[in-house]
Amino acid sequence: MQGSTTTGTFVFESRAVEPGPSVLYDEHVKRTGKSHISAFAGYLMPLWYSSIAEEHRAVRERAGLFDCTHMGVLEVAGDDAAAFLDIVTTNRVSSMSIGRARYGYILDAAGNVLDDIIVYRRGEHNFMVVVNAANEPKIKFYIRELIDEHAVVDTEDSAWAEKLPGLDVAVWDMRDPNRPEDRRVDLALQGPASIETLARLTDERLAVDRITGLKSFAFVEERLAGIDCLICRTGYTGSTVGFELFIDPDAAPRLWNLILDAGGPLGVLPCGLGARDSLRIEAGLPLYGHELDGRFNISPFEAGYGWAVKLEKDFFIGKAAMRRIAATYSMEVARIEWPGTKGIRPVRQDDAVLNERGECVGWVLSSAKVEEKQYSLAYVDRNMAREGTRLGVYYLARSPAQVQQGRKERVEKGTRLKADLAGVVSARFPKF
Amino acid sequence: MAVKEGLRYTKDHEWIKVEGDTGTIGITDYAQEQLGEIVFVELPQVGKQFAAHKEISVVESSKAAGDVYCPVAGKVTEVNAELESKPELVNEDCYGAGWICKLKIADKKALDELMDAKKYEEYLKAL
Repeated sequence: MQGSTTTGTFVFESRAVEPGPSVLYDEHVKRTGKSHISAFAGYLMPLWYSSIAEEHRAVRERAGLFDCTHMGVLEVAGDDAAAFLDIVTTNRVSSMSIGRARYGYILDAAGNVLDDIIVYRRGEHNFMVVVNAANEPKIKFYIRELIDEHAVVDTEDSAWAEKLPGLDVAVWDMRDPNRPEDRRVDLALQGPASIETLARLTDERLAVDRITGLKSFAFVEERLAGIDCLICRTGYTGSTVGFELFIDPDAAPRLWNLILDAGGPLGVLPCGLGARDSLRIEAGLPLYGHELDGRFNISPFEAGYGWAVKLEKDFFIGKAAMRRIAATYSMEVARIEWPGTKGIRPVRQDDAVLNERGECVGWVLSSAKVEEKQYSLAYVDRNMAREGTRLGVYYLARSPAQVQQGRKERVEKGTRLKADLAGVVSARFPKF
Repeated sequence: MAVKEGLRYTKDHEWIKVEGDTGTIGITDYAQEQLGEIVFVELPQVGKQFAAHKEISVVESSKAAGDVYCPVAGKVTEVNAELESKPELVNEDCYGAGWICKLKIADKKALDELMDAKKYEEYLKAL
């Protein structure tokens, strides 16, 4: 069954779909082998072009260009669009200025995270909402269910459920090929050379000033090389300088090549999903299904984003559960640094995190090698998440032969083990 | 994808080079390419016996762990200890400096079941 249960949990059965090409697929196969292209969230996407390490370094030192056209882009419009988004998402929407973006969550009435999103205010009554590729079908279905009064809005107070159907709001898929105009897909240009690269695509000095002057989570609508771009200072790499460019899908291949041509002399590289993952892990940023929701059902508070859940708002779906979790949560996401020189076995998802006495205090959620270090995001006891805390990791068995030799395939909390590698909790959100 | 003449190949993308009773084992260009940047190679113990198709090594990249299966039964006589500090040799020279271990082959007839370079190339094309 699909839809809301009586307890407010929203159930969605995602259908297996044959992965299709992203709108940049032809560009990818020109620049990388087909063996480096993999199915991801329904799209055939590049894992890397040159190498994950080289692309990671390009973003930190120069800039990198990412195909994010798989991300869901929705338009929420109507006289009550702001009021609707204030009910459906956890952050404040009505108080946003035009030209600003905000990070938040869509929850179900039981408080489960359905997605983490960014809301962009383009006008008084017009918003763009960017959702994860993997969650897009679920979010579209959920919003439809909410508007059609099929989904549970609140398990405790039904007054808010009655407000939803009366609202003047419509939701559209901005990537829909049948949409007549203002279609949008996402490209991300991230790293210090991003500004100089974009400046090379326009002769208009004022446009460059407006792009350069953008604050974090602010955007402008400009023309670059004749292409309408919504340019926002957001990203998923931890870069202080970085942009997401929302453009017509038909213009995406041209802009992709223009950016790489203009940025080539500056050392700008095309980057795949591998570097996208290692950059976001190094920066401490969560990935839905790993550091949010997933098998531990991780809440925004445990993920380190309590600030994006406005408990002071009159109402949002999932508020009662969030209030409860905010007062009681006992584990959180920590960013741990390990040695990572070549020849050290890589830390992987689900490996056990140990305290100094060797007791399991949590598990690795995501991990990446960056230069001579490894960084893990791990779900650990809150008193173990403080910067400077020394922790160890126990590698789970990687193969049947290791299981035969006695290595565990799963570790429960409190189990005492010998650490394979020693590390330390580092600052959760470093800036680059 | 490079395939080298004179070696025997498995469907799991291992190669074996036979000299007398000794077989040198590694993974193919296709396999290293699939794994990406290799950062760790678990070497087998010298003296240990392996049956054919048993896991003899684990090669790990930053994205995946790949099992290496023994192409034919035998006893490990030597391992490439250089891979402990330079696992990237598997990426750079998978048929040469990136070899994993040497094996005293139990029964050389078993080699007939493996593919030669031409067959392996056809096998890759069909993937």
